[in-house]
Formats: sequence, structure tokens, C-alpha cells
Amino acid sequence: MSWRGETIDRRGFLKAAGVAFTAALQPGSLMALERADAVYASGFRAPDGSFGIATVSERGEIIDRVALPARAHGMAFSVATGRTVAFARRPGTFAMVFDAARRAEPVMITAPEGRHFYGHGHFSPDGTRLYASENDFDGNRGMIGVYDGSDGFRRIGEFDAHGVGTHDMTVSDDGSMLVIANGGIETHPDFGRTKLNLDRMEPSLVLLDARSGALIQKHLMPPALPQLSTRHLDIADSGRIWFACQWEGARNALPPLAGWFSKGEDIAFLDLPEQTTVRLGNYVGAIAVNRREGLVGLTSPVGGAAVTLDARTGKVMREETVREAAGVAPAAHGIAVSTYDGRFNETKSRIAWDQHIVRIG
Amino acid sequence: MRMIFAAGLALLLSTTAQAQDADSVPAVELPPAAVTKVMTAAVNGFIRPGYDAFETSAQDVADKSAALCKAPSVANLNVVKTAFRALVVSWGSIEIVRTGPIIEQNRFERVLFYPDRKSTGLKQVQAVLAKKDETATDPATLASKSVATQGLGALEYLLYGTNADSDLLQAENAFRCRYAAAVAQNVANVAKDVAGIWDAPDGIAKTWEQPGPDNPAFRTGGEAITALLGILVHGAEAVRDQRIETFYKGAGKATFPKQALFWRSQNTWDSLHGNLDGLSKLLATSNMVELLQEKDQPVVAATQARLQAMIATARTVMPNIELAVENPGEQAKLQSLLDGGKDVIAKLNDGYGGAIGLSSGFSFADGD
Repeated sequence: MSWRGETIDRRGFLKAAGVAFTAALQPGSLMALERADAVYASGFRAPDGSFGIATVSERGEIIDRVALPARAHGMAFSVATGRTVAFARRPGTFAMVFDAARRAEPVMITAPEGRHFYGHGHFSPDGTRLYASENDFDGNRGMIGVYDGSDGFRRIGEFDAHGVGTHDMTVSDDGSMLVIANGGIETHPDFGRTKLNLDRMEPSLVLLDARSGALIQKHLMPPALPQLSTRHLDIADSGRIWFACQWEGARNALPPLAGWFSKGEDIAFLDLPEQTTVRLGNYVGAIAVNRREGLVGLTSPVGGAAVTLDARTGKVMREETVREAAGVAPAAHGIAVSTYDGRFNETKSRIAWDQHIVRIG
Repeated sequence: MRMIFAAGLALLLSTTAQAQDADSVPAVELPPAAVTKVMTAAVNGFIRPGYDAFETSAQDVADKSAALCKAPSVANLNVVKTAFRALVVSWGSIEIVRTGPIIEQNRFERVLFYPDRKSTGLKQVQAVLAKKDETATDPATLASKSVATQGLGALEYLLYGTNADSDLLQAENAFRCRYAAAVAQNVANVAKDVAGIWDAPDGIAKTWEQPGPDNPAFRTGGEAITALLGILVHGAEAVRDQRIETFYKGAGKATFPKQALFWRSQNTWDSLHGNLDGLSKLLATSNMVELLQEKDQPVVAATQARLQAMIATARTVMPNIELAVENPGEQAKLQSLLDGGKDVIAKLNDGYGGAIGLSSGFSFADGD
């Protein structure tokens, strides 16, 4: 879900989109696009209960919408190809690849028999590979599905994620390594979203060789924190991998909720002030790094909070009460935040924004 | 976004937000005393009595099965089958609580291993019968075997499966009968275990009833009520997704009658009746309606009306699932149950959830 931020901006998006796309926009949407410093995509639910993906300006003005058959969760964007992918919320079985500039027809990917998507994935830097976190539910193991972006997103293989309840995943900047957050929670589509093993969780953070799928390193949570579900990831320009967690243990505990590690290094937990941990409700729903400004954004729908950290020191720069806080993404300046009740930065829309945002321009 | 750090995120999000096309939804005040009253009613009026009833009905099957083993007769077998039907209903009611001790230590799966698309349970139970594995006739050793061999699915096959009558009635203390009695006792033991955990004076019941900063389950009343609503939403989803759509997804679509829960004993609708009755009772006994503003309260009555209509329909569907899915009249009833389930989910999720301040409904509260 990360935005590398160095190769495309709103002007690049406009140029790539071309005249046909902009001519088809409503005047208000075109104006919103033209004055935006950044463009994002996020899943939403409309008042009539339908689901889709909206492209949205930095101000939160909706530019365009793409309909989806069901609720989406995480997304990824390829700077190289201009394609965005939205993954079905677990235990969904679809992923839609689309071009926000509408230069190509959307491609619908269906999870193979015995698998469902976990809601996240990422493109290789050149856009030729799409990696998706998946559940081998009868085998009770997380997998990374590999799809060929140069061949209609045909599934060409899969890697063992070396954990259970695989959730977010990303790819290193050079494309050599997959970074995986195994939440450690067993689920099965026959039991809906019921968490089946809260009394014996095994969360982990894993690095895989992107070419072979070979395990590079794996970090389990400390013995005192077996219920610290590692869920979301983003990478800073230093290569530091930031992770965010959701605590499944006692509600009155004060576990660490985020941390970082790098290849070859052990994990380190962020030592948040107690009031910040309380404010986050032991649940971080999304994390994003703003590389240019050295910031990390966290949101919690449970606690109703948005927190901004210094990416170098981990120090809390800002924390705000944001009721039903949903997604975060790097903005031109600062961190963009959406909410379930339809706010995206300064604009309120009559839709419910879903949990994640991806920057696409 | 450059304004955010100049003006402050909270300012932008809560004060200067521009309405693109909507009004904001106000949060609802949930007074602690009112929350405690609702949670206490849910625990003491539904959850604890529900597990007690489940334990009682399971023990009843165990006792009657033991009596059947000592004195095999058609009459005694019918007594066991009647008790089994009551057990299906009592489990169906409390089964909607998919949280707490029942989902720890594989207790839920030990009571009910379902769905079982690959017939794992059937194969394992048949293997136990073929080998006459005596360790399956002792609840103590049965408990450590595969979960598929020790719950209600196994018990149903032992009472209604191939050669059940002849095996059960052939002689005193027949192997199949003793295995069935052990399964029933095992289910009763799990039920007793869970009931005991909910009855403990300083245990989970207390944490459910008194949310607060030091509470290990819920720090706020909002969290507690969201969890309570979650039982209802997830329970309604399970009725639709796991109990009906497993064998019937709509007219013209493939049907799988032997995937229906308890199709063999023709207790499918008794089980569903238990589920729906559990949802209705929890909604009523908790008095969750009292937490809503007066203008929002009709959503609870509307939900109850829909649940009662579904219960009435479920009572009239043919017990023989293989016949029901082929009959146009029965198909219409099945479709009405699917439609009803969708409506109940929407009313709870968006109607009640929205009314207590979950502006996007309950399901969005689980960010994942």
C-alpha cells in the first residue's frame, strides 16, 4: 500500500490519463483533479450498500468511481504501469486490477480453488509481478500468490508465507524481497470472519526472496506478546520496515503497537507514551510512511485516533482524535487520513471510506 | 494536505470539513449504567441460561443413551432421538455466541464440526465403528480424539446413519450405543465447562457487565455494546451463509442437500429455529432497544418481526432437505429465508449499528 513518492505526481497522473479521461469527467471532478497536489484511491461503501473504489483528490473530492462486486480492503499501485489493484476483504475471492485513468479495461482476478485473498498485495517495482496475500484455508497456512502482470495477471505460482493469518505484504524497493505480516490468526471461510485460535496465536514478520520464495528471515513476537497480531506494513526510504499491530489480548493491557526492523536485524518496538497507546485502543488499522518528510502515520478506528510519528526517532509528532479513523497515506505534506463516516481530509462525502488508502498520483 | 500541519488535523477533520454531499452522523451517548444494565441482562438473561440449558439437554441425551445401551428397544431409541432433537435446538440457540470460552481450546469444534465438505467426520466415525475402538466409548479418552469424532455431527450419524437401528438395538451395551453415549457425555462435559466459566463470580460475566479502563474485555460501554451487536450480526450471517447457502443459494443454482446441517436426522430446521430463536431472545432479553433514541427504536421491533417471520417459515419447510430443494413451493420458502437473513443483517448492522453511532454500520467497526 505504500507510495514511493518519487516518480509520479498529480501532473504525471493527468498526463498519463490523457484527454479522453479528463474529457469524460464531470466539471467538478476535473477541477478537483486539476487543483490536487496528490491523487489517491480508496475502497468505499455507497449509501445503497454497493461497493467500489474511488479516486479522490488530496482535498477529499471524489474524481471517479469504479464499481466492485463486494467490499474491498487493501490496494496497491504500480508506478511503472499506472495500474491499481483492489483486493477483496477476507475471505473474499476477487481482486480487481484497473487503470484509474481508464486507459485499459479492468482485469478481475479470482482466487484459485482452496484459496481466498487476505486483502493485501503489492506489485513488483517494474509492475510485471503482482503478489497477493492468500489463505490456504484447508492447509491452515498463509501463502503469497504470484500473478503475471504482463500476461493478464495469470497466476504463475505461490510462495509459503511461513505463517498463519497472512495479512499485509509489500515489496522492497529493489524488488528482491517480499515483506510479510502474518497476523497469526487462523480463519476459515466456513466460519466467516470468526477468529479461531486467539488462545494459540503465532504472529510473525517474514522476509522472503522475491524470486525463489526462499525464507530470508522470520521474527516471532516475544513470548510475552503471543497475541500481538502483526497486520500492516510500510517501508521507509532507509529500507526500515515499519509494522503495525492489533492486540488480541486483555483490553486493559498496554502492549506495543508498532515497531520496525530491517533485513538482518531484529525487530524493535516503538515505545509510545501510555496515553497514545490507550488512545489507539490497542488496535492500529493502517500505517503509512511519508518518505519525503520522514513521517509515519497510524490510525485506529477502535480508539478513534490518528498519530503521526517521526520516522527516524519514533517520537510522536502529533496525535488527534479522529472518530472512526480509517486509512492513512502519505500526502504532499503530512499524512492524509480518511474515516468510515465519509471524511477524507477536509471533505465529507456521503459514502463510507474503507480501511485503506493508496496514493496513485 | 499542507494545511493539515498548519491548522491541525482535528480542526480540518471535525470543524472545517466541507460537505461534498452529506451531513455528519452524531455519536450516541451510551450511559455506563444503561450499558451495564443491557450487558447484565444479556449475560444473565440469555448467555448463562443458554449454556445451562445446553448442558442440561446434552446430559439428558447422555443419560438416555446410557439407558438405551442397558435396555435396547425401539421405544428407548426413540426417546434418545427426541432428546437429541431438543439438544439440537438448545445448542442452536446458544450457538450464536461465537465469542468467549466456547471458541477457546477448540470447544466449538468439539461440539460441532461443521461444515465438513470433505466428510472428514463421516469417514472418521465410520473408522471408529469399523475398528470398534474402545477408547471412543470413554468420554475421557474420546475428548482427546479428532474433534470430528466427538460432537453433534458424530452423534447424529451414530443415531441416524447407516445401520444405526440394527447396531444400536442388536444387544445390550452394543459398541455403537456406548460410543453414542460417550459422545453425548463429551458434549455435556464441554457444555458444563463453558457454563462454569460464565458462572464464575469474578470471571467473564463480570467483565462483560462492567466495562471500564481496567476491564480486560471492554474499556468502554461502546466497545461492550459493539461486541454484543457483533454476536447478533455474526449470528445472522451464520444463519444465511453457513446454514442455508451451504445447500441452497437460490433458484437455478446447484443444490447440495447433503451439506445441510443435520439433514440425516431431518433436524435442519430445528437447528435453524434454534439459531433464529436465540437471536430473537438475545435481542429481547438484553433490552438493547433502551440504548437507542426514541426515533431509532423501531428498528428493533422491525428486526424482531423479521426474525419471527423467518421462524414461522422455517417451521413449515419440508424436513427432508433433498425433497425441499427440488420443490418449487419449498424453494420459495428457502428464498424467503435468504431474503429475511439479508434484511435482518442490514437492520442490525446498519440500523442498530448506525443508531448507536457506528455510522457505517457494525461491520466497518472491524477494520481488519
